[in-house]
Amino acid sequence: MKDYLPILIVFIFVLGFAVTNIVLSHVIGRRKDTRAKLMPYECGMDPVGSAHQRFSVKFYLVAMLFILFDIEAIFLLPWAVVFRSLITTLSRSFVFIEMMAFIAVLFVGYVYVWKKGLFEWTRG
Amino acid sequence: MVPLSWYLALSAVLFTIGVVGVIVQRNVIVLFMCIELMLNAVNLTLVAFSRFLGNATGQLFVFIVMAVAAAEAAVGLAIIISLFRNRETLNVDEADLLKL
Amino acid sequence: MQLDTLNLNYWAIAPELIVSLVAVVLMLMDAFSRKGGRQANAFVALIGLIAAFVAVVRLGGLAAGGYFGGMVVIDPTRLFFAAIILIVAILAVLLAGQFLGDEGLPPGEFFSLLLFATSGMLLLTAAGDLVTVFLGLEIASITTYILAGYRRYDVRANESSLKYFLLGSFSTAFMLYGMALTYGATGTTNIEGIRQAIASESINFPALLLLGAAMMLVGFGFKIASAPFHLWTPDVYEGAPTLVTGFMGTGPKVAVFAAFIRVFIGGFDVPIAGVGLQLHNGWIHAVAVISVITMTVGNIVAISQKNIKRLLAYSSIAHAGYALVGFVTGDFAPVAFYLLAYSIVSVGAFGVIQLLARAGDQKTMIDDYAGIGFEAPALTFPLAIFLLSLAGIPSTAGFIGKFYVFKSAWVTTPSLRYLVVAAVINSIISIYYYLYPIVVIFFRPLAPGFVRPRMQKATALAIILTIIGTFYLGLLPNRLLKSMEKGQPARITANQPGTK
Repeated sequence: MKDYLPILIVFIFVLGFAVTNIVLSHVIGRRKDTRAKLMPYECGMDPVGSAHQRFSVKFYLVAMLFILFDIEAIFLLPWAVVFRSLITTLSRSFVFIEMMAFIAVLFVGYVYVWKKGLFEWTRG
Repeated sequence: MVPLSWYLALSAVLFTIGVVGVIVQRNVIVLFMCIELMLNAVNLTLVAFSRFLGNATGQLFVFIVMAVAAAEAAVGLAIIISLFRNRETLNVDEADLLKL
Repeated sequence: MQLDTLNLNYWAIAPELIVSLVAVVLMLMDAFSRKGGRQANAFVALIGLIAAFVAVVRLGGLAAGGYFGGMVVIDPTRLFFAAIILIVAILAVLLAGQFLGDEGLPPGEFFSLLLFATSGMLLLTAAGDLVTVFLGLEIASITTYILAGYRRYDVRANESSLKYFLLGSFSTAFMLYGMALTYGATGTTNIEGIRQAIASESINFPALLLLGAAMMLVGFGFKIASAPFHLWTPDVYEGAPTLVTGFMGTGPKVAVFAAFIRVFIGGFDVPIAGVGLQLHNGWIHAVAVISVITMTVGNIVAISQKNIKRLLAYSSIAHAGYALVGFVTGDFAPVAFYLLAYSIVSVGAFGVIQLLARAGDQKTMIDDYAGIGFEAPALTFPLAIFLLSLAGIPSTAGFIGKFYVFKSAWVTTPSLRYLVVAAVINSIISIYYYLYPIVVIFFRPLAPGFVRPRMQKATALAIILTIIGTFYLGLLPNRLLKSMEKGQPARITANQPGTK
């Protein structure tokens, strides 16, 4: 059971962090209630009405971009974890440049998406 | 410790659910989710084997599969959107212009 | 793990690097130029593909074996298959100007997708590890899904793309499960490592190995459109833009064949005692049966087709069946030569049909072409040549391809001679439906309202090149055949990655 203690601590910490923030903002923050602000929160949509209404296609675009750029982190993490042990056998610059090349490819994708105007929410 | 066979059985069950889903489901999005389920069942198999064999190749494979699955998901969504724009339906049975 | 045991040599992946870099450049050109110039894009793509071709030829100068820890290999199989893929890609780029111009589609993305697909296929031919097989396969497939739906306001193209996507990813999942089981059984994903594990009889779970091989066979079967996994092919081929149909009916298929050979002949073919023998017998017979079913189904159904694109789709199924005959020889050369002959002819045929069908593929019924034989001879005569070559008429590439495959199979495996007999019978049946369009085109009264299509120079060049290729392979194949036979069989030599 002792092995699970760190998980419990993290859990308590996370809970405490969330609760503290909500309570603090409630107590300290200045509030001006408008109708829109009092509605239940639902990612930019009108929360009342049929759940089967059609979503704007823009959400799908953002979702796609999110998936693509988000998932690449799984390559960064293992690389960062083994970096120290890797440079004992491979040259440091080699290990570094390999990952930079990967990030450069991602960056090109980002520039492409930007230039194509996919970040402009109000576009047609 | 959970034995290897349990993991393999679980992933086989998940994979089969995915296969059956692809065959019986009619909504494109659900079809698509079933395919993702199949891929993730495979990931489970790979990780279980990787752990069992004590070699990291399986986990490396899982990373690649996840990245590829994300690309596939993006393209799949794009294709579904473009079909929807022209047809206003998500039912694969109605995508029938090319039938024999 | 030391640097030198990994064998990192960037020259070993030079073709893939060149093609993907040029694809990225094209992508940026598309993003940064106002109105993408079609010609500039096509020109850059062409230069890139030719450079990659040179790089493939130069690969022959490097030592055969595994690179990047066995992820990538250099062997004759790779060189020949990569060359075929680049030839197909070059022809597709030449034909693409006409397609994009007639349809008014944006050019930038098309060329960059085409090149990304090509880089995936090249990786697939180079794969020495199941991980690379998967990666190459997916790069090639995902880009081809988009290309199939490139005419995005056309519902047929959308449907084609969707079907291709759903069935393609379905089959990928099968193949992946097979790979996972094989990995579990042998403890490695390296194809040469798998062979050694089977040869040294150090298999953890023999049943899983057999199951894994069977699932990979299903996955490969889907991708090369062999029966009974061919049902997606006609719909997808009919709905996709004609040029894309020509491209995806040849390029990805050729690349998957290369990986199929590498995995099954290079990895699973260890006919010694125990599970190795079981596996060997199992897959050889499975491939033989699939081959017979595939060619028979393809040919029989092709006979009743009224749409030229569907006819060629079923014909491509039948041709996958013929190419599978070459698998029983345990050598890559017959399959590679057959696919080269098939690809050149097939791209040429689709290039002509693209013009005859008009923008938006409005006229794809065979009856639409009645009597146009002498109205547009620059199109109909090449089409006739391509159809005759597909039928396997002597003096064309198709004949030598079939002859070479059938002869090799007959000589090397006496126990499977029924396969060759079935293939020959099928070839004779197929002559009927290849001759039918020719008869309609040349000997029927002219259909009213025929307007001769305008052909661009690049299209004309591509068609001339394919005709030259058809006759070159048909009349003077000896040089190529000799250089193929010099190379060893598909087995990978040495250079197993360090396991620690």
